[in-house]
Amino acid sequence: MTRVFGDPVDVWVTDGRPVRFVWRGRLYTVRRVLEHWVTTRDWWREQQPDEEPAGEREFWRVEATPDTEIGVYELRHDTATGDWMLSRVWD
Amino acid sequence: MAVHLHVASAYSLRYGVATPRALAERAAELGMGSLALTDRDGLYGAVKHVQACRAAGIGPILGADLTMPGERRAVVLAVGGTGWRSLCRLVTAAHSAVRGSPVTSRELIGAHAAGLVVLLGPASDVGQAIADRLPDLAARRLAAWRESAEVVIEIVDHHGAGDGHRAARMLALAREAGVPAVLGNAVRYLSPGDHPVAQVLDVTRRLVPLHRRHLDDQTGQAYLKSEAEMRRVAELSCGPGAAPGEVERLLADTRELAERCVLDPARDLGMDRVHLPDVTGDPYERLVARCEDGLVRRDLTRGGPGRGGPGRSSRHTAAEVRAHLDHELGIIRRKGLAAYFLTVADAAALIRERGIRCAIRGSGAGSLVNYLLGIGDLDPLRHDLVMERFLADSRPGLPDIDLDVESARRLEAYRALFERFGQNNVACVSMMETYRARSALRDVGNAVGLPPHEIDAIAKAFPQIQARQIRAALHELPELRQSNLAQGHLDVIFRIAERLDGLPRHIAMHPCGVLLSNATLRDRTAVEQSMAGFPMSQFDKEDVEAMGLLKLDVIGVRMQSAMAHAVAEIARVTGEHVDLEAVPHDDGPTYEMIRTSRTLGCFQIESPGQRELVGKLQPRTLADLVIDISLFRPGPVNADMVTPFLESRHGLRQPDYPHPDLVPVLQESLGVVVFHEQVLRVLDIMTGCGLSDAEAARRSLATEAGQEQVSEWFRELALARGYDEPTVERVWRVLTAFGAFGFCKAHAASFALPTYQSAWLKRHHTAAFYAGVLTHDPGMYPKRAILDDARHFGVPILPLDVNRSAETWHVEPVSQGASTAAEPPPSRCGGLSPLEKHCASTAAEPPPAHCGGCGGSSPCEKNCTAGIRVALNEVKGISRAEVERIVGERDVRPYSSLRDFWRRARVSRPIAERLVMAGAFDDLAGEGVSRRDLLCRLGALDRATVAAARVIEGQLPLDCDEFGQFVEKIPAGELPEMTPAEMVEAELAILGMDVSRHVLSFYDGLLDALGVVRARDLPGRPAGAEVLVAGVKVATQTPAVRSGQRVIFATVDDATGPVDATFFESVQDRCAATVFGCWLLVIRGRVRHPGMRAVTLNATACWDLVSLYEEWRRGGLPAVRHLMAAADRVGTGPRAGSRIIYANGFAMSPYADIGHAGGAVKRPPGRLWHASGGSSG
Repeated sequence: MTRVFGDPVDVWVTDGRPVRFVWRGRLYTVRRVLEHWVTTRDWWREQQPDEEPAGEREFWRVEATPDTEIGVYELRHDTATGDWMLSRVWD
Repeated sequence: MAVHLHVASAYSLRYGVATPRALAERAAELGMGSLALTDRDGLYGAVKHVQACRAAGIGPILGADLTMPGERRAVVLAVGGTGWRSLCRLVTAAHSAVRGSPVTSRELIGAHAAGLVVLLGPASDVGQAIADRLPDLAARRLAAWRESAEVVIEIVDHHGAGDGHRAARMLALAREAGVPAVLGNAVRYLSPGDHPVAQVLDVTRRLVPLHRRHLDDQTGQAYLKSEAEMRRVAELSCGPGAAPGEVERLLADTRELAERCVLDPARDLGMDRVHLPDVTGDPYERLVARCEDGLVRRDLTRGGPGRGGPGRSSRHTAAEVRAHLDHELGIIRRKGLAAYFLTVADAAALIRERGIRCAIRGSGAGSLVNYLLGIGDLDPLRHDLVMERFLADSRPGLPDIDLDVESARRLEAYRALFERFGQNNVACVSMMETYRARSALRDVGNAVGLPPHEIDAIAKAFPQIQARQIRAALHELPELRQSNLAQGHLDVIFRIAERLDGLPRHIAMHPCGVLLSNATLRDRTAVEQSMAGFPMSQFDKEDVEAMGLLKLDVIGVRMQSAMAHAVAEIARVTGEHVDLEAVPHDDGPTYEMIRTSRTLGCFQIESPGQRELVGKLQPRTLADLVIDISLFRPGPVNADMVTPFLESRHGLRQPDYPHPDLVPVLQESLGVVVFHEQVLRVLDIMTGCGLSDAEAARRSLATEAGQEQVSEWFRELALARGYDEPTVERVWRVLTAFGAFGFCKAHAASFALPTYQSAWLKRHHTAAFYAGVLTHDPGMYPKRAILDDARHFGVPILPLDVNRSAETWHVEPVSQGASTAAEPPPSRCGGLSPLEKHCASTAAEPPPAHCGGCGGSSPCEKNCTAGIRVALNEVKGISRAEVERIVGERDVRPYSSLRDFWRRARVSRPIAERLVMAGAFDDLAGEGVSRRDLLCRLGALDRATVAAARVIEGQLPLDCDEFGQFVEKIPAGELPEMTPAEMVEAELAILGMDVSRHVLSFYDGLLDALGVVRARDLPGRPAGAEVLVAGVKVATQTPAVRSGQRVIFATVDDATGPVDATFFESVQDRCAATVFGCWLLVIRGRVRHPGMRAVTLNATACWDLVSLYEEWRRGGLPAVRHLMAAADRVGTGPRAGSRIIYANGFAMSPYADIGHAGGAVKRPPGRLWHASGGSSG
């Protein structure tokens, strides 16, 4: 089933793609990138928009595993702030 | 090397963001060898793209991104000249079904497939089948395409959710089917940071607010990517499991297609030559023969005094005329333009044959050939005009001939041209309306979901400036500084709105350009329907010239219509046929009137500035008017030519000639260089270079670099001819100060003619003149100001009357005896009595005298008794059909009663009510029946009509006798008559003008209490005296002035005449918002006497009269004084606005000559004086 989260996560990136991340104190290793896409920010909804509404959100849907059990995780990366977030989990 | 094959520029309306030039420059920076432009459903940007690519040194590729049924799209690219012709015809065909919604089908593309390559990308039917995971359907569709045209698969990956997978499946389909695949990026903007603009355009196009689900651009990737970025896209699209070399193959196929599609502007697009209409026989021989005919017809074979048109005396002998003609013909022959002149002559003759007034304007008037062919009616030799300003060996490209026709019959002239030259060989020229501050703010405001009334308020607060000036204007313009608009939360709106600056938003028919060509026209330009139903090229006027197509400017001029109306009215009322062209140009009374500055309504000389100038210049001849029109320009003002000219003219100083050789050239303007023609002659005399090279040099003077070049050349040659150093230096200074700002004398002369003609009409056929001006509204003033001027000239204003008013304004004789008998009660024509007072008072003043009482000449007396009748067209909201029915039924038999009118004219109830309120039934109803009674009866009639229709179901004709019994009886005098104030209010609301009496008369009490000075008394006030004036705002202008300030000129009218007030920057902080925002003004200022009789005010303060009046009623005079004093204290003092500084030191405000903030001055505002509110300044 799908669960939606918005938890901040720490992500290790190699060659522009995520390879490991820590979520709720557990280390996950990325096995495979299933899909990668980007969207622009909803700049028109922001209270204090920056001078240049550039920057985008990058999504990575990956197969990752904390141990033996494989799950699908969606990571969200805000290129403007550099923040990572775990947005959805299928397990 | 990567190449972009799929690129939308801003000419994809409300879709693309970047200009063709910016795209080409970026592509060149990125090291690309070519660039495609594939705008949506149009070739609007094609010529600009080709020119931009040439400038950037890259190869142009052209195509179009076409709309297909079912929200699908396909891109086509042109290969070679065949491909370009197919592309033009295909785009035309796509637009031919429904105006404004172009649509293409696979069959249509198949029918134009020669030389086209179709790119099937994600938005194509094939791409959609792939997205829907229907590979078999995709394969079938692809197969069908391959039967219709040459196709390739276009891979696009914008990194959206699922894009990568879809791209990979597309590529797999191409490989399976054996169709080449190319890589595109469906470019919409230059840089990643531009995506918010594209997103605003996405929602604006769909008329929805910003929301993710409405956006085409979700990822911000549709920018002009570099080679490395495109390679990365290719890698992602091919996927990790792709065959080796797949990425290289994709990129190589893309390059290969690009190389095939690069077009040669000369060979493929025909941009290296001109494409004139076909002319039978040898055009040059025919041209010579036509000119010979012209010499006879214009009576130029004899030469000497006495020949020529009205009031002319010639200085030119037959031999001189002949030499001049041979010279012009020589140039035409060398340039191969004989067919061009024959075509234009044909067109002008065609227009005149229809009885449409037609005059040449611009430099073309300087050509003797044009005069002989009958294209123009101005004798260039008599006015000392030169052909070289118009056509010279040194002038590149096609010359420009502009024809002025009656604005009301412009489309009729177009239709004549289409008939004569053939539907497929003629097209109108288009123009792009671009985003400006107001439109940008409206669209962005809507996109972010601002409430409509707030958007309206913000947009109207801005003057009509460019969108990119929005934030600068917020800080610089006093009327905006006080508006609190510069607050944080609106900032994002202003920021995005600024970025819409200059983007095309709407295609429209150019107001005058017509393309005349041959049967290949449709191979050279895509054509769509204009709003008026004419075939319209997708090219604008610059594009058309670049493509070597002949464009004739047929300009609708309202004054020509106004004069035609006046002439028709004279003929209708008196049977006299006036031929304006034959009117002598030396009529004393006409110039006498011009010299008193009473020129409201006249062509070119009615603005406050011009009235001041004619007052100072005191014109006595047509040549004086030519100089007057030329002087009233930024150039002469800038070079300070006006003052020395006026001083020399009035004998206050000797004319100053730099060298005796230049006297013949500069004599006409007393030593001042006013005309382009004089620049040519000065250059010619000083250097001996000939007029053709002189024209080339003159054009170079426009740029700083050009000036340097010409400077060296000029000094060298002039010194070599023996002119001394100081003379050369002095002449050069004059020439550069003159810069490119001066005026073409031929143009001024062709303007002076209608100026004189309109003034002549005003002087001698005053009522007919006003009927024309009020019908066609040619000028800058609201109609109520013209109406007031008519009162001052003694023309009775006859109220709206269903039995007398026509569709347009008519002259109506008012016999003195009859007018007393039929005179309406005084309350209704209060205007008449001050009018008579005024006539009496002007009798004491200097001339002109126009009515019998003022001792006018005999034609004047005849006009004195001619009134003007308010037109039915002035009634707000009345339809053409209603006007036609009212007039048509009345011609059968005059209306006998309101009921008769209601039954026969069958107008809607609101219109009938407006007619009642505006007094159109007063005469019919007779004494004792008030307008309110009539309104009540109208309601009864309406109810009866509805009831009759319901009960009898339309069986009983409405005009049967029994009809009456259904109508309730409303006895006369049941309801009170409207007060004079209510009547004027109704007139302003319904007709937009105060017919029965002047609006200001209701404020007389307050104005007298304040000691306000009336316009007619102002000349008696000494210079420097501080006075208060009041009036209805009739005009505000912000022209370019010498100091570079933004100066506001406001004209108010107070029933005794106009008052011109000047607001300098130092007072604008407290005045600008009031001047622009209010309709009734009280102004305080110091009197200035700039001319012989002219008076203006240097304004120091102004207030809204309505607010003062409210205050007066509430608290009396002390309260008013208190309010006025309070307004005086507002403001932060002067603040200099920014300046545009020209190369020659001329400074100009960036806000000069633009439409101002607030609503239009032409109609009174919705709320009138009884409503309170509005700021007091």
